[in-house]
Amino acid sequence: MNRVIRINGTEWPADVPPTTPLSDFLREHAGLTGTKIGCRTGECGACTVLLDGRPVTSCLVWVARAWGRDVTTVEGLGDDQRLDPVQVAFLELNAAQCGFCIPGLLVSARALLDEAAARGWPPTALEVRERLSGHLCRCTGYQKIVEAVLKAAENGMKEMRLELG
Amino acid sequence: MSLGSVGRPWPQIDAVDKVRGRTRYAADMTLPGQLYGRILRSPVPHGIIRRIDTSRALKVPGVRAVITAADLPPNGPEGKGRVPFGPYVDDWEILCSDRVRYIGDEVAAVAAVSEEAAAEALELIEVEYEPLPAVFDMHEALEPGAPVLWPERPGNIASRFDIARGDLDAARRKAHLVLEERYSTNRIYHAYLEPIAVLAEAHPGDRYTLIAPTHIPYKARVTYARGLGIDPGKIRLIVPPMGGSFGAKYELNVCMIAMLLARKTGRPVKMVFDRAEDAAAGHHRPPLHFDIRLALDRDGRFLSKEVRIVATAGARTMWTPPVVATAAHRIDALYHFEAVRAEALLVYTNTSPTTCMRGFGNAEMLFAFEQMVDQAAEELGIDPVEIRKRNAVRAGDVTIHGWRIGSSALEECLDRVALLSGFSRRKPAPRHPPASGKARGLGLAIGHHVSGYRPILAEYDGSAAWVRLDMDGRLSVAVGEPDIGQGLNTVVAMIAADELGVSPSEIDVMPVDTAHSPAAVGTLGSRATIMAGAAVKAAARDFKKKLLAFAGELLGADPGELVLERGRVLWRRGGGESGEREGGPGASLTLAELGRRWAAAHTGSPLVGQGSYRPETVLPGPDKYGNPSPAYPFAAHVAEVEVDVETGAVEVVNYWAVHDSGRIINPSTATGQVQGGVAQGIGWALMEDVAIRGGRVENPNFLDYRIPGFQDVPPMTVEFVGESEPNSPTGVKSLGESALNPVLPAIANAVYNAVGVRIHDAPLTPEAVWRAIQRRREELEAAGKEREAQ
Repeated sequence: MNRVIRINGTEWPADVPPTTPLSDFLREHAGLTGTKIGCRTGECGACTVLLDGRPVTSCLVWVARAWGRDVTTVEGLGDDQRLDPVQVAFLELNAAQCGFCIPGLLVSARALLDEAAARGWPPTALEVRERLSGHLCRCTGYQKIVEAVLKAAENGMKEMRLELG
Repeated sequence: MSLGSVGRPWPQIDAVDKVRGRTRYAADMTLPGQLYGRILRSPVPHGIIRRIDTSRALKVPGVRAVITAADLPPNGPEGKGRVPFGPYVDDWEILCSDRVRYIGDEVAAVAAVSEEAAAEALELIEVEYEPLPAVFDMHEALEPGAPVLWPERPGNIASRFDIARGDLDAARRKAHLVLEERYSTNRIYHAYLEPIAVLAEAHPGDRYTLIAPTHIPYKARVTYARGLGIDPGKIRLIVPPMGGSFGAKYELNVCMIAMLLARKTGRPVKMVFDRAEDAAAGHHRPPLHFDIRLALDRDGRFLSKEVRIVATAGARTMWTPPVVATAAHRIDALYHFEAVRAEALLVYTNTSPTTCMRGFGNAEMLFAFEQMVDQAAEELGIDPVEIRKRNAVRAGDVTIHGWRIGSSALEECLDRVALLSGFSRRKPAPRHPPASGKARGLGLAIGHHVSGYRPILAEYDGSAAWVRLDMDGRLSVAVGEPDIGQGLNTVVAMIAADELGVSPSEIDVMPVDTAHSPAAVGTLGSRATIMAGAAVKAAARDFKKKLLAFAGELLGADPGELVLERGRVLWRRGGGESGEREGGPGASLTLAELGRRWAAAHTGSPLVGQGSYRPETVLPGPDKYGNPSPAYPFAAHVAEVEVDVETGAVEVVNYWAVHDSGRIINPSTATGQVQGGVAQGIGWALMEDVAIRGGRVENPNFLDYRIPGFQDVPPMTVEFVGESEPNSPTGVKSLGESALNPVLPAIANAVYNAVGVRIHDAPLTPEAVWRAIQRRREELEAAGKEREAQ
């Protein structure tokens, strides 16, 4: 297999031992330190990235599993000119305090919002809490994070309706 | 005039970096040529080190150094010998010299070119231990004949705190009701998401650069310098963004170990704890045990309070002595008493050292006392809101220890939280626990705190700040208090921005770096916003005065006719403000232009405004009488719980928190502080407990040590009441710790209200609640049989 991973749309050679944790590859080889390591046991969610659009805890994923596939990290949401709507909502509502858990949460939230957009109706607060329950945050008490995801969903849905209308 | 930012919700000024993953925490940094350091920790709880052999470890390819106590530099008098040191009690060693005192004690350390090589080397260090009898329970450690951890401190007493005021006998004689109760709180883990991580570099001349998250950089380097036997000025401490701490990341042995490894290898050394290491040998909130006797009169007025506290230091003393002192007497600034006495002991055990955590002993005492207030209210037939109002301090009061309450909206907090929560719907607690199903209950608790606490380190009283305009027009602010994730930098930028007529987003707040920040004790004791904020306000005013004087010179105007707004200095004239020419009313100069021209006129110097704030406090003397804080925040919380009678599981289904923190600078981050504090309180109250068996932490991971997740925390209602604090230049008080303080007793009182059992020992796990319900049923049954027999 071609030992290449497409990270945030760019192909990266990933010819490292196949059992290297994806999180370590991203941080140490690809220089993408936005993905955080909080436990290395898949319990805190800080290292979450999207693998072909689905959230995975990258500390538990071997790099070999990502060869030939698409990985999205927090660095892949938005750019210098334009933030992703979910980043905007987190920013505006102060959903981040220390910020350490936020990169993982943002990519999970992006996946949730993409699914919601595909099915055509926004998530409920309960659904957000359930879907993000793999992420731990010690600062915020979660309320502003839930509000931010719902706000991003609402904004996203508005845009979609405008496009349709 | 612009509207100003203060009082409006404002995004954190560093939020763009946070949401883009660009915030660089310590573990994200790499220094050229850096090595990876790891610590070999003791596997036995208490023992003598008979032999250490590092030769095999040194042969591992890539290992650059292995150090043990034999490698420690002298730090004794006149630079000779090794002596213990520490922030409060001199019982720290950087690496154990001859004895280990807990499972996790630092025995040796390795630096290698990779984490793998370092880990391999750790396994090859041979250490022979001669086990000693160990003691894990603080009560057992106080028994005669218990194993002694520090022979120079017999009886295992690390420190003690005693206070007494008023005539106890006279007060007790008037008592109508006396409650004698025993309560305890448990050991919990701070459980920040960022494991401890530091980087160190050694330079010639005993100098070091240390990159380490800490609340208290200037204080920490004093401790580190004592440990290393050097002058504190030799250590440059740079504080990177911190991924949570809540009190754990104050002063850490790992910093000195990293510095010594860097010295030995001549290379930068990075050390990152893994989660298990962090949870077991990082540090914990200390368990506290309370015996409290409270005497009240017929009307529910508090007469006397006697308290005995025992607390666990663990194997050495970190920041627990002031925690214990706080637990012993801070409640006396929430309620009036005619007479009080407290004695508190901090006790060594062969367990991981404990340290301070958000709430700092006050939360523990409130867990006990706020339940006793409810007990008294019930016995005397007084409403829980009313009994608190009858005893609480008010604005203008002087407490029994001389603390001066400048402002208090506690009554408003109580009334408001009662209204929001519909507290009047609360029914009396059932005499019999319900037989099955789920029972709901409402619980009230109040709390308070300080806004900075002068006796912690009297030599760093107050704060200083600088406001600076560079030649390119950039405005920046420097303070000595690190932002610990709560949004301090945003708050100081808002305060400066409003003084300077710009947007907070146009102000950079400099990272705290002992090479060029103002010196300060740091971000602790809920002090940062009031202290740094006031200093920044003063600095901004000084800056503005200098700027207007300079602009006046350039424009030929009287500075009194100039205003600073929207990023420029304008020469006012009646009505209009158009015209850009220099030298007449209507003329203006932008900050960029002023920065350039100031630098040109001052050979490159930036324009700097300096300011400081020394709070109006009275340092308590040996008699502990004084006024240690400029202001006191207050709060009233109500929890609504649902108790599953068959399993004992408690769920917090609603939560209301009303706070008096004086003027609120940023309502958005302030609300976030309360929500986060309540969530931590819910975790502590219901879920979290560091399990130690035979000295070993048995749950050092997030699977076995559960902190609240998205589904464990209900939606919360948070409101702020109260006016600007008169003793505070910006009108603020504080919030960080008062957010957590009332949570445990509010939940415990709600559980009592739901099922009629009072839990004296935190946490309120399903098992604890279930057992209490069974016990209550047995008591009622026994009482029933007795009545039948009669």
